[in-house]
Amino acid sequence: MSTLPFDPLLVAIFAPLAVALAIACGLPKRFSVKLAYVGFGLPLLLALHVWFYYGTAAQTHGYAFLTSYSTGLDNLGIGLKLGLNGISLPLFVLAGIVGFAAGLYAIQSGAERLKIYLMLLLVMQGGLMGVFASVDIFFFYFFHELALIPTFIMVGIWGGRDRNYAAMKLTIYLTLGAMLSLIGLIALYVKSGAHSFDLIELRRVIAAQPLEATVQHNIFGLLALGFGILVSIWPLHTWAPLGYGAAPSSAAMLHAGVLKKFGLYGLIQIALPLLPAGLIHWSHPLAWLAVVGNVLVIGFVTIAQRDLKQMVGYSSVMHMGYAFLGIAAGSTLGVGGVVLLMVAHGLSVALMFLLTTSVYQRTHTFALDEMGGLAQKAPVLSALFVAATFAGIGLPGFANFWGELTIFVALWKFSPLITILAVAGVVISAVYGLRAAARVFFGPATPEFAKIAAEHPVSDLRWSERLPALILLAALMFIGFWPKSLSTALDATLSPAPAAQVGAVK
Amino acid sequence: MDISVLQTLASRNLWGAITPEILLGGLALVLLVIELLFPKEHGRIVPVATLVGLVTILGGVLFNAPSAYLNQETFNGLLLHTHGGQIMRIFFLLAAIMVCVIARVSLAKQSLPRVEFYHIVLVVTAAMMLLAQSNHLVLFFVALETVTIGLYILVSYYRTSLTLEAGLKYLVMGALSSSLMLFGIVLLYGVAGNPALPAHTAQSMHYGQLAAFLAANPHNFLASIGIVLVLAGVAFKIGAFPFQIWVPDVYQGAPTPVTAFLAVSSKAVGFTALLALAGTVFASYAWLVAPVLTFFAATTLLFGNFAALTQHNVKRLIGLSGVSHAGFLLLGVAAVSRAPMAVGAIYFYLFAYLLASFAVFGVMAHVAGANDADQELDHYAGLAKDRPFLALVLALGLGSLAGIPPLVGFMGKLFIFIAAFQAGLYGLLAIAVIGVVVSIYYYFGWIKAAFFETWGKSVDAPTHPERTPVDFVTGFALSALALAVVVLGFYQGPLGAWLSAR
Amino acid sequence: MMTASLNAYVIVSAVLFAIGFFGVLIRRNTLIVFMSLELMLIASTLALVAFSRVNGTMDGNVFVFFILTVAAAEVAVGLAIIVALFRRRHTVQIDQLDTLKN
Repeated sequence: MSTLPFDPLLVAIFAPLAVALAIACGLPKRFSVKLAYVGFGLPLLLALHVWFYYGTAAQTHGYAFLTSYSTGLDNLGIGLKLGLNGISLPLFVLAGIVGFAAGLYAIQSGAERLKIYLMLLLVMQGGLMGVFASVDIFFFYFFHELALIPTFIMVGIWGGRDRNYAAMKLTIYLTLGAMLSLIGLIALYVKSGAHSFDLIELRRVIAAQPLEATVQHNIFGLLALGFGILVSIWPLHTWAPLGYGAAPSSAAMLHAGVLKKFGLYGLIQIALPLLPAGLIHWSHPLAWLAVVGNVLVIGFVTIAQRDLKQMVGYSSVMHMGYAFLGIAAGSTLGVGGVVLLMVAHGLSVALMFLLTTSVYQRTHTFALDEMGGLAQKAPVLSALFVAATFAGIGLPGFANFWGELTIFVALWKFSPLITILAVAGVVISAVYGLRAAARVFFGPATPEFAKIAAEHPVSDLRWSERLPALILLAALMFIGFWPKSLSTALDATLSPAPAAQVGAVK
Repeated sequence: MDISVLQTLASRNLWGAITPEILLGGLALVLLVIELLFPKEHGRIVPVATLVGLVTILGGVLFNAPSAYLNQETFNGLLLHTHGGQIMRIFFLLAAIMVCVIARVSLAKQSLPRVEFYHIVLVVTAAMMLLAQSNHLVLFFVALETVTIGLYILVSYYRTSLTLEAGLKYLVMGALSSSLMLFGIVLLYGVAGNPALPAHTAQSMHYGQLAAFLAANPHNFLASIGIVLVLAGVAFKIGAFPFQIWVPDVYQGAPTPVTAFLAVSSKAVGFTALLALAGTVFASYAWLVAPVLTFFAATTLLFGNFAALTQHNVKRLIGLSGVSHAGFLLLGVAAVSRAPMAVGAIYFYLFAYLLASFAVFGVMAHVAGANDADQELDHYAGLAKDRPFLALVLALGLGSLAGIPPLVGFMGKLFIFIAAFQAGLYGLLAIAVIGVVVSIYYYFGWIKAAFFETWGKSVDAPTHPERTPVDFVTGFALSALALAVVVLGFYQGPLGAWLSAR
Repeated sequence: MMTASLNAYVIVSAVLFAIGFFGVLIRRNTLIVFMSLELMLIASTLALVAFSRVNGTMDGNVFVFFILTVAAAEVAVGLAIIVALFRRRHTVQIDQLDTLKN
């Protein structure tokens, strides 16, 4: 049983925000950096704490650590209600780990105007912890936006090529997605008759009186479209590679690794239990869109990339396809697989963006054709990169393996044809992943790289870069070898509710 | 005539009910006296006296917050003191305080007599407060004209060629809309008092009586023309499409504090009138009012947002963005009949709009040079570097106007959307979503001009006018606004409960 | 003596109102636009008096005084603006007042 004298979830959310505020109020740089360690470290420690104690914590309405705070809008059914269930716990932990790694990487990066950079990143971290700890779906949305705004600003100020265009495109696409999902959430609020954004209350009301089938279809469609844009479903994915290509590494790590999971998490936590008929109605279009668009089309587009960072961006779009497939499959197994995959992909894509930036700092280019032979000069970097690539492909021993495997097993029941196509996607990701690793690290050095290496002597990863990478890799392997650490809680939450409901409607 | 009748009538004139308005009028007169008594120093004394007086009156209104006259008719039914009226009183007082704060900055750049400016602002504010509580078409018309005529003078206050041109345009458009509204009122008066019709009334301009008459005659031809004319007149005041043509020119030409006054207070006046009229008096003509409001809301949302996209002058930009905000508010008004929470949502939106707008206008007043009409986006280059405080306030204000969480503007939009969804206005909601996405583009462009463009590369020769330093009072006011924009986004606290109470 | 019906009054005032309205929209000279605005107010006044007579209530007649006051204030402010503008531009033609453009 947890014995903290304070609410761990509330502190995990507001510690980074408080540090950001302190930095904004003009703290000197030395203290800012020291305090930033606290701002990123505290959420990680608290996340690990709740992970450890989750099994023994008291559960109310299926949530552990449940607390609620009034924000003056009780008569509208809005209040800050925090708690964790088996679905949100893994993602809360993910946010803690990736946030800490991204924070460490940002602190050592020595970016221009580091104070403001850290401040924005801390706001993002606070928002992320809030997204997954919120039981109230209004605050779930609210914290997502809180984390999203710093992304736009960081792309606009610290971004690479085309940062103005990328920032603008990112803003407009993601605002559209967010607005559509907001309307979907409002629709749930009004149509359910609960007049509350509290997920527990919504569940109770809808369990007593399910929504009409057409209403469910419409709301699910709206949510799937809105959340889909946020998760980069094909063909509304174009913001993702562009935005990640331009984003500074820590922002890309947090966005691609954690924030993007918001849409999937919303579908699993909100849409599936509340709108089972909507899922049945949309599951086939969704599955075909995901397998043909995200997995196959984007898979081939990824193979064609000549730019390392773009390639990582596209590969993350592709992997989101598997997540949609798991959701479309709808069974406990599929949804559980999606949650595992979300955690695994979050860790591995964050690691990938981190290493890509480290590669860039040594080669001064993202162009695959101009690289080669980095392994001799930076063996640790190349070992980590190869490990991250294996994780991305989904080799056993990494968390991704369990996620993809369970999704495929669940998908076979749903549609064998789609499963075969989806498995073909694994081959595609093996092709581009291994080819990129080979191009960058092995083989002879290209003349261009030799020239750059002569101008800027290449060194291996420093410890300040190694540490965040090792944290991410360790988490990936820990879950890879011991998936039960997450799946026990997950099963407990998933097995009674969605399975029963989805099964009943089928 | 029996003298006792007059006595009864006079006994219903409860002057205590309008103490704040009387005090405002008195303060306005005191300012003129100050000018006479201190001919040399009045330039410094007058703004301070105005602000102190306004803050005192605001304090008094807040202190007596549940007014003793609540839900009571005074002055023989000319006034009805509702909860909404109390909310709007506080709104207009807050707005007047901010207008005066901004005016201190802007007027310092001109060589002009200052007393009249503050005098008129006070008188107009008093009229707005009366209008928010009016319960009779005569008082409504007279109060509205006091507001409008005061604003004609304020718009052309600088007496330069540009402000006079703006003033003339505003005058012609304002007088036209007043005449339309007046003719509508006359028709309603004539029809509702007609002895040949059922439920005709002697008090045919009293809101309650008029509503009762309209409920008894739900398809009268002349009455429906009257209603459309009155709505058109109000639509002019709030800048709803197709009556928005004056907005960009007048907003550009008017002095910055007056632009703020127009954008916030004058628009709020229109919405209080619309809530009182469309929401309650004309309720039985929903077959007519609902489509008209839907048309206004849809076209205003689309026009405001798309027209703002191409603007480079920030005053025109904020004017057209104000048109789009009118569209969001109209969406709320359209929802009132079927979703009662829309009223609270509209009040919340108005307060959110007040806070964010004055934050932006406050920054504009500091960035503007002596030529007040010439305020381009380019003038904001490097603001984040030179004046981080102003840039931060600007970003928060614009972010809130754009409706970005966690700022208060988002909450306003959320409440309006919930109300609109409850009322089943799905088509309008879709247009509103498009509007939000488009609006992000131009607000973002402004923030970009202040932040992104020059970070990294330095500007050699400043192409922008001299930026005014921030003094204590303005600094305090702007910080308070910025803080409120953030805090109210996180925690609505008693404000949310107060605004959504009946 | 012939008494005009209410309809006649309303029609006359509506026609006056329409003349004023289109005058504002069509005429290019500011002064004439201004006169048209006043015509619209006067048209309303005429209808008001007629209605007041037929309805047998005094409200309309009293309202006329308020309208006259308002109109006087409007004229005072309006003419002041027009005169000041004429001093700076030496013209009162609407189409030449187009300096406020993006």
